[in-house]
Amino acid sequence: MNRTLGRVVALLLLGALLIAAPHLLSSYYRSLVLALLADVALAVAWAFFSGPTRYLSLATGAFFGLGAYLTAMVGARLAWPLPVVAGAGAAAAMALVVGLLALRLRGPYFAVFTFGLAELAKHALIWYEMRVTGTVGRLLLAPPGPIALYYSVLALAALCVTTAVLLRRSSWGFALTVIGADEERAQTLGIDSTRVKVGTFALSAAFMGAVGAAMAPRWTYVDPQVFNPLVSFQTVIMALIGGTATVLGPVVGALFLGLASEILLLRFRYLYMLALGLALIAVVLVFPGGLSSFAVRLRGRDTSRPLA
Amino acid sequence: MRATLWAEIAVSGLITGGIYALVALGLNLQYGLMRVLNVAHGEFLMLGAYVTYSLHSAWGMNPLLTLLVTGPAAFAVGLVLHRLLYARALEGGSPEVLEGRSLLISFGLLFTLQNAALLAWSADLKGYEYLSSPLRIAGAVLPANRLVAASVALGLGLAFYAFLRSSMTGKAIRALMQETDGARLIGINVPRVHAACFGVGIAMSAVTGSLISMLFELTPFMGLPYTVTALVVVILGGLGNVLGSIAGALLLGLVETAAVYLTSSDIRVIASYAVLSLILVLRPAGLFGHK
Amino acid sequence: MNIGRRSFLKTTAAGAAAAALAPRRSRAQAKAIRVGYTLSATGPYSVGAGITQAPNYSLWQEQVNAKGGLAVKGEGRRPIEFLSIDDRSEIETAVRYYEKLMGEDKVDLILPPWGTAMNFAVAPVANKHGYPMIGPTVSSNKLKELSFPYFYAILQQPDACMGAFAGFLKDLKTQGKVGKLGIAYVSDLFGIEMHASLAPQLKDTGLEIVDTKSYALGVKDLSPILKGYKAAGVDAFLGLTYPPDNILATSQAKESDWNPPVFMTAVGTAFPFYRDRFKGAEGVSGVAGWNPKMKYPGAREYYDAHVKKHQKEPDRWASAFAYASLQILEQCVGEVGLDRKRIKEMLDTTQFSTVAGPIKFTKGVNTTTPGMVGQWQKGEFEIVWPKSLATATVVVPKPAWA
Repeated sequence: MNRTLGRVVALLLLGALLIAAPHLLSSYYRSLVLALLADVALAVAWAFFSGPTRYLSLATGAFFGLGAYLTAMVGARLAWPLPVVAGAGAAAAMALVVGLLALRLRGPYFAVFTFGLAELAKHALIWYEMRVTGTVGRLLLAPPGPIALYYSVLALAALCVTTAVLLRRSSWGFALTVIGADEERAQTLGIDSTRVKVGTFALSAAFMGAVGAAMAPRWTYVDPQVFNPLVSFQTVIMALIGGTATVLGPVVGALFLGLASEILLLRFRYLYMLALGLALIAVVLVFPGGLSSFAVRLRGRDTSRPLA
Repeated sequence: MRATLWAEIAVSGLITGGIYALVALGLNLQYGLMRVLNVAHGEFLMLGAYVTYSLHSAWGMNPLLTLLVTGPAAFAVGLVLHRLLYARALEGGSPEVLEGRSLLISFGLLFTLQNAALLAWSADLKGYEYLSSPLRIAGAVLPANRLVAASVALGLGLAFYAFLRSSMTGKAIRALMQETDGARLIGINVPRVHAACFGVGIAMSAVTGSLISMLFELTPFMGLPYTVTALVVVILGGLGNVLGSIAGALLLGLVETAAVYLTSSDIRVIASYAVLSLILVLRPAGLFGHK
Repeated sequence: MNIGRRSFLKTTAAGAAAAALAPRRSRAQAKAIRVGYTLSATGPYSVGAGITQAPNYSLWQEQVNAKGGLAVKGEGRRPIEFLSIDDRSEIETAVRYYEKLMGEDKVDLILPPWGTAMNFAVAPVANKHGYPMIGPTVSSNKLKELSFPYFYAILQQPDACMGAFAGFLKDLKTQGKVGKLGIAYVSDLFGIEMHASLAPQLKDTGLEIVDTKSYALGVKDLSPILKGYKAAGVDAFLGLTYPPDNILATSQAKESDWNPPVFMTAVGTAFPFYRDRFKGAEGVSGVAGWNPKMKYPGAREYYDAHVKKHQKEPDRWASAFAYASLQILEQCVGEVGLDRKRIKEMLDTTQFSTVAGPIKFTKGVNTTTPGMVGQWQKGEFEIVWPKSLATATVVVPKPAWA
């Protein structure tokens, strides 16, 4: 009982800090926290699908980019935060379509297929823009203020983490785990694996699209290069580095990678990529179960779950 | 006119596909054999290209001759990397876990190698001319350097395929690709074969890079698009299937070239993806893959 | 070793260290001027940044500090200190760091990052904090839609560049030297905008446009387009390109055995690298803006200093404007000090004299420098259009590929 109380208090404190942050911090630190929150949302969203089902999705870049570009296209006409909702919806729709095809594929086939989505979306968009609108890239001339953007991303991160926790404890979440362990068995147990998989994939994509939509106003000009395959990799890295066995894992991973990149970037002008690369390799070799598994081991809990 | 156009498409497509084939084959040896998702595969291609560039610019070495340097050197590097990084992290665990961990390690490697290349050669565009005079064959004008590069790449790929079919080691590798546990039972030294295959995979990537340096400009960031193409080809042809990679690469090359000739180059990626989607719908394990 | 010698050595060492670390009273008493920026050292933008901006930033700092520092009105000379990071060609990273520079570190001045997209992202931040920023690598029609009073574009915009192309081709048509055009453009913002600017301006030139084809960034094979144009008898090829596609277009034209009388690749042609890659690239033309032969004060000296410091030549387009933007900043600080509002006022009203010629900003855009066409002739990118600024006569037809 005390433990739960302690956790609730800690969470409330954290929440209060995060809510107060934009008024206490300078614009740089506020931006940094915003970027970290965005990373957390992406990593957690990725992990609540790919963790239990073991389908390594590399589609994050496509969904994120879709949300971002959509905001750039309609942002002027929709009041904030409607573009974020639109981004979520568009990404979810894309995920439903793609998922129905892609989720019939196994492991590596699924991974590579989803990886190509970002490139496909980019080229399809360029083709469309050139033929229909004659221009490429959009300017966001009247973006919402930095505080509004911050709270949007904070809300998304909080909502995403909550969703992940609730999902994990629900029967849907259990179904995901069973699918990940043995998909054929799941079918025989009466689980409609297609519905569960595609549904969760779409929910995960919705968050990614929403984050993209919320971040885009910061860049003023958004062009199709925003569909970046590297975003897909980075999200997976964050989640795996932290460990996908718990909801906290991707959070830890996102914070670690985000802060490490920033610190190294500021300190080492020419060697930070080298340092970051070596740090990543070191972490994987020393903590193959992810950083959070190390923390959990310290607390003496059993981590030998059938998950990742 | 029509016939010449189709002939040009065919030749151009096979040239592009031939180059893809070798780099994809290298990735297949890692991903297909060991479920090692090496996203740094293209970085070795980049390094091979730069080494050839340096040897050619500084000492006037014939680019084709530099293959004798980049190939073996890359093989050695591959062996070392496998031993240091992958072998340890890949002990035990399901294929998905292996895939995830190797992705992480490879990503770190990608950063490290790009930064190293940046320090060594800077971000300035570098390139050289080799065999850039046109060849006239049967009324068509063909680029000699592309023909040579593709022929060498395809040749090496087919030679490797022949090796797999005929030699004992080759059979061992094929056995491993199809059934790891069974292979272990009949006494194949799995770790040894894995390491050697990893090394060969890296060597193939580096050699492709050396060949590509004859055709395109070099930057430290040129590797990733080739990794992406290699992944697509491997999946298209079927994971673990060597002939599948070669066939898939040639198919992809033809599709891309046809798309560019017949419509516009924007369609290239869309066309490739459409073909990939179609094949995966009909055959979810690739053209020649098996469950 | 006896105690005496050891302690003597220790004291001497300590003394030497103290002397090395102690502030030198003789010089550098003035507080440094902190100038902040990000440049792409990694990622796709690093090529351009490394050619056009990075060398000029460091050259300028070296030259200014050699004189004792930047002359600040009413304060004498103060040395320049750079605060910079690699933005990794990531817009978010650049935006955040500029927020840090202006919001946290409160630097005295800022310099721009590389490229249109980056400048678009950073301009609102600079504007909000009231820091003037002069961008030498921004060229886009979308600039007209933006309203950032503190942002200045010093490079010729697409309308000007393409106006020069059209004028150049029109002159050649009148002389009967060209008739059929074949256009290819990259489907990226710059290529699309160049094409959008060019098309209407070609209308009354009397030239026949055989075809216009677009291609994607990262294209690996342009020969289908080139071969098509060769077969159609195109005598003037216009590639609205970027590096490295301009290099690909050139090498594939050569491989396809095609040497039209006029061969133009827009951006990237002005890089000395391009000239060296094609053994002189004799006769190839493209977007130009400067060469050391122009009779501007300090042009030749700038060229020599750049070569001396970096062992490479400045490019023949944006490099000189990057350097010019620094000269302009220097002049402003010398005349009105470090008050950024007053610097802005001076930028809005003054005509500056730079190594790239006279420059005056109207509503934040350099309206003095016209679009120009350059052509490689005997190792130099001669200005061949407009005639008023030409440093050589155009050579048509283009000589054979080397």
